[in-house]
Amino acid sequence: MQAFQQNLSKLEAADTQVLGVSMDSPFSNKAWAEKIGVTFPLLSDWGGDVTKEYGLYNPKYKAARRATFVIDKDGKVTDIKLDAEAIDPTKTVEACQAKKLNR
Amino acid sequence: MKQFFLATLLAANMIPALHAADQPAPAPPMPKVKIGEMAPDFTLTDQNGTKISLDQYKGKKNVALAFYVFAFTGG
Repeated sequence: MQAFQQNLSKLEAADTQVLGVSMDSPFSNKAWAEKIGVTFPLLSDWGGDVTKEYGLYNPKYKAARRATFVIDKDGKVTDIKLDAEAIDPTKTVEACQAKKLNR
Repeated sequence: MKQFFLATLLAANMIPALHAADQPAPAPPMPKVKIGEMAPDFTLTDQNGTKISLDQYKGKKNVALAFYVFAFTGG
């Protein structure tokens, strides 16, 4: 999430709201957000319903797989990055900037 | 004799561990939501206790929805 925070102004310039999601509690997320200086929402999917609905629940870790979805203004998924590509937001930033240019 | 006994015990204990290591790791989950599909709506609580829905950004902003594994880890 640190890398998304560093790229936040670029993403905001591309009309994009960043939302982090994990199966942590809101209390863990609050402590972590303060520690690393994240200013965008970190959402608590306690119990994993949303993680499962998106198909990202990894029983091995009892947690989500690392994945970043770009969702356009109509609510449609336009880009998915997994694992290492999801950790480095460069390609997500590019996808959001390209969307902005296309409109 | 005692040493042999201990060695046998140790060896026997290691067998299940070796077998477990031979098993292929389970495949990571594949996203059920695909490109071109509508993203399922949700309402979740953020770190400040605010409820946030995906739908509240509809018609206003794109959303980069970043699933992460655990708080207090990298990425």
